Amino acid sequence: MIERKERKPYWRHTKWQMLASLVPFLAVTIILPLYADKLNANKFLGFPLGYFLAAHGLVLIAVVIVATFVSQQDAIDHWHGAHEDN
Amino acid sequence: MAMVRPQRSINPRLGIYLGIFLSLFMAIALLTLIFEGLGVGRLTLAWAMLLCPLALYGVIGAGGLTNDALDFFAAGRRVPAFYNGFTLATAAFGATGTVVLTGMLFFAGFDALCLAIGALAGFVVMAVMLAPFLRKFGTFTVPSYLGRRFDSRPLRLLSAAILSVPILMLLTAELRLAAEAASWLTGQSRATMAVLLAVILALTLVPGGMRSLTWASVAQGLAAFVALVVPVAIVAGLVTTLPLPQLTNGPVLRAIGRVEAAQGLPYIIPPTLAFDLPGQGLHEMSKRFADAFGLVGPSAFVMVTMTSLAGVAAAPWLLPRLASTPGVYEARKTLGWATFTFGISMLTAASIAVFFRDYVMDVISAPGPAAVPAWLSELVTRGLATINEESSRFRVSSFAFDRNGILLSLPIAAGLPEMLLNLSLVGVVAAGLAAAGAAVVSLGSTFGEDLIFGLTWEPPEGAVRIHASRIGIGLALAIGALAAATVSSDPFRLTYFALAFSGASLFPILVLSIWWKRLNAYGCIAGLSTGFSIVSLAILSAEGGFLNVDPILLAASGIPASALAAIGVSLTTPAPGRHVLELVRDIRVPGGEILYDREMRLQRQKRHRQRS
Repeated sequence: MIERKERKPYWRHTKWQMLASLVPFLAVTIILPLYADKLNANKFLGFPLGYFLAAHGLVLIAVVIVATFVSQQDAIDHWHGAHEDN
Repeated sequence: MAMVRPQRSINPRLGIYLGIFLSLFMAIALLTLIFEGLGVGRLTLAWAMLLCPLALYGVIGAGGLTNDALDFFAAGRRVPAFYNGFTLATAAFGATGTVVLTGMLFFAGFDALCLAIGALAGFVVMAVMLAPFLRKFGTFTVPSYLGRRFDSRPLRLLSAAILSVPILMLLTAELRLAAEAASWLTGQSRATMAVLLAVILALTLVPGGMRSLTWASVAQGLAAFVALVVPVAIVAGLVTTLPLPQLTNGPVLRAIGRVEAAQGLPYIIPPTLAFDLPGQGLHEMSKRFADAFGLVGPSAFVMVTMTSLAGVAAAPWLLPRLASTPGVYEARKTLGWATFTFGISMLTAASIAVFFRDYVMDVISAPGPAAVPAWLSELVTRGLATINEESSRFRVSSFAFDRNGILLSLPIAAGLPEMLLNLSLVGVVAAGLAAAGAAVVSLGSTFGEDLIFGLTWEPPEGAVRIHASRIGIGLALAIGALAAATVSSDPFRLTYFALAFSGASLFPILVLSIWWKRLNAYGCIAGLSTGFSIVSLAILSAEGGFLNVDPILLAASGIPASALAAIGVSLTTPAPGRHVLELVRDIRVPGGEILYDREMRLQRQKRHRQRS
């Protein structure tokens, strides 16, 4: 069980983690497709680069972001003693 | 405080059971291939291919029979993260993703990615901002969460009524696509098939609610995934010698680009707010595949991404799935698996579009006088394509293809055996059933929990509570089957506006309810109704055309408007009380007792004290 005085630092830590996960991800999600046309001049694995990044690249980024979030947030939970009992 | 938790162990033979299902499914498919070679009638095999998996789903669902509330509403809170995430992604992708997204990608190429990217990002946002906290709260439906979190019965009833609208729209779209696929297989009418599928869903879901849904959906998800991947993997093996379609369609895509350039397909520079994705029916190819922004303008691209992001992250038919994880950590992991599965499915859909476009471009760029290949005439006989002009040379504008038929056209174009076409159709049925099932169960529990027993915080003990939800499931299925048999509007529009509804009315208040302590019940009601009315206006302007506003723009503006309304009204009305603030503090910490269970326990203790 979390101690009462740990709650504030725990929540501050969690908020920063949320921003660190979402802000870069959303920025890439919104900005990358807008520049796809310029990137399409290059090739990667035979794909036009802009299309490749908007499809495969974003999937990869999303999976990596969620995976790092899960492990980071779990570490935060344990650091502040906020984790589940079992 | 020591807590006694009943040990709910995970069935150790789960993997074996699902392996048996998968082997049976493949065995049925391969057996029909053998019988096809032996000359058994096409229709017999199609019926076998449709009914055998349906019977298996029914058996799995009936095996989940339970009268325990925790089992019925949350699958016993013991579904491992992988299965949960897989089911979540299947329910989100659904028949719409399998059929419509593939078709959209074929015609619009890059531009259709906005829908898929938005849904993918929705999972990320759900993982970080919503999932762990909703799991800690532990209610079975979204309206129950809102009602408990703000201690407000009107909010609970209102949100139950409002959220039924998008769930019903999604149910209609999914059931309709599944019924269409089934009627393609068997030649029966769409209405008959809609009724058949609704009956199967009733047999599957009524016995065990969420528990039945979970395991039947895992099976349906496996079937849908295999059916999506196998035909295109074979095609990729034929075309590029490497059966990994998601990664090997690059060179094919470049070849397509060269033909498009040779054909002089125009570079389109659309208005920044254009949103011109093809509706249902036959269309010509008008846009280069890999070029960005031909049918969808850049601003519209971002807006559609945001709308489907918010819609998926707050989807009231997806969120109840989180209640069935064993814990907060597992709820986060669930979303990781969901992102992964959804990503693979979306890349597979894109590769199907690319490979089919390649077959079409081969016909167009073939040297010599124009000759219609056998597969193209077969597509025309089956009504999936038309040839507009008979000239000496084919051009891009010579052909039109059915948007909802691209998935089925690929096995025909590649000359694959009939069995693989049937497999694709069975996959569409499975994906549609998984998504429709998620909608039906969340609608059923909302009906039982939040409408029938919505005025009391203390649901009755025993089987009455579960029977109420069973009636809800039956009602939802009846309405869904009726709508799926009769409604003729585009399933894509239904799904998109369902996402717009849940995004605009629910997403802002769900996020604020966790991340902003000052939000109160009035603000919540304001946010819900603002989002709902703005999206309703958007639909009216899209269907009726009498409001001269862009419906996509209007639907997207619902999200900030609803957030502003929620914040504004909250700040001008009294701050929430101490009990509610204490709840918010507890939501934010993963450890400790599940809040819903604690509230129920306190409720029971109070009643015992009053009695003695």
